[in-house]
Amino acid sequence: MSANFQYKWWIAVVLSIVVQLLFLRDLALFYYGFCFIYLWALIKAPIETPPVYLILGGFVLGWLLDTFYNTHGMHAFSTVLVAWLRPTFFKILTPANGYDERSSISLEEMKWMWFFPYLGLMLFTHHIVLFLLEASEGSLFGLSLLKAFLSTFLGMAVFTLLELFNKEK
Amino acid sequence: MNQLFEFLLRQRNLLLFILLQVISLWSVFTYNNYQHTLYFNTTNSWAASILSTRQEVATYHQLREINGELAAENQRLHQQIFKLQSQVQQKADLPVFFSKASLDRYKPIACKVIDQSTRNSQNYLTIEKGYLDGIKPGMSVISSTGVVGKVISCTENLALIVSVLHTSNTVSAKIKSSGELGYIKWPGYQTEVAELMDVSKYKKVVKGDTIVTSDYNAVYPPNIPIGIVAKVGLQDDGTFHDIKVMLLTHFSTLRYVYVIENKFAGQQDKLDQAKPKID
Repeated sequence: MSANFQYKWWIAVVLSIVVQLLFLRDLALFYYGFCFIYLWALIKAPIETPPVYLILGGFVLGWLLDTFYNTHGMHAFSTVLVAWLRPTFFKILTPANGYDERSSISLEEMKWMWFFPYLGLMLFTHHIVLFLLEASEGSLFGLSLLKAFLSTFLGMAVFTLLELFNKEK
Repeated sequence: MNQLFEFLLRQRNLLLFILLQVISLWSVFTYNNYQHTLYFNTTNSWAASILSTRQEVATYHQLREINGELAAENQRLHQQIFKLQSQVQQKADLPVFFSKASLDRYKPIACKVIDQSTRNSQNYLTIEKGYLDGIKPGMSVISSTGVVGKVISCTENLALIVSVLHTSNTVSAKIKSSGELGYIKWPGYQTEVAELMDVSKYKKVVKGDTIVTSDYNAVYPPNIPIGIVAKVGLQDDGTFHDIKVMLLTHFSTLRYVYVIENKFAGQQDKLDQAKPKID
């Protein structure tokens, strides 16, 4: 991994958090679709990132979001869970010829058949846990499910767009 | 001993995962009990300064609407002044059950909203005044058009308000015309609509009735408008009306609110504590 890549990656992480906190706070698609672009850091972290860093990073990221969203621990719980499950998702989705040492998580390299299920699993796990925690009432289960599905679709669309714009020439 | 260390080392990911999940869950479930010690919310000073800047930019683009709202409010206040002036004469001989002190029982404090959410199932607001300005947890918050919520935690210069748009923040309410009592509960979705609960189906409720805060309210002053009845139906259990209420406060464009200081709050608490405990 080149220093150039790392430098770019950190800028993108900071940018995704800033956009999340300042612009996407009040944005909702059809009332129930939310965009959590801050998950970019967790989704795009290099495949060989040690799980300890992922989990710790997820916690810090979630806690930061909690501070701004007044959700006291809910984002942290979901992000840590997703960070923990990420290696499992990798195992489930192993491509036919295994993971290359140098492969990065991008639409270009992993192709649609891998990238979409991966995106969907990551986003949906995070969203369903987050919305169920946030609803805190059994009667809102259906609503949380709807929110999680809509947000997952929105998230997949946004992340795919980012991938398409990000194509290396 | 060595084996234990080896085991811990091998399972360090799992252990770290469990530890962090426990911390998060602890934070989720104890938040309401430890509201004064947990500063990881928007009353945190650096979070607040970022959000306050953001809000300033947003407010700038809404100046026209805010001006309109302020003008309308001024007009209403003037009307009230005229009405009160005409009553000044009668004030000298108040009815016996009305004490002089209760006349200035409530004092409003105007505050700027620096952050708010409306799209979650549990929504909060942050305002730019704290206990240095006399704001304490438990005070009620209203806007120029209706109820907003309740202060739940304060720092020196900021306060966190739990909005009416929160599924466990109910408001004791009554129907203005008939005085029928009930309570307002937000069902967890749709920013504009809440439900009026506990009104018997044998009572008359008409579309267009105004809902205001009740006189038996520990938090809000009485007769603060809450909303307008938009739809009347029957609940599944068949005993109560199913009443949808259009809220009068426009939460999505809220920029200024009034925190209401209740001068009797301390005395009320004391009386409540004196009640014999029946469990």
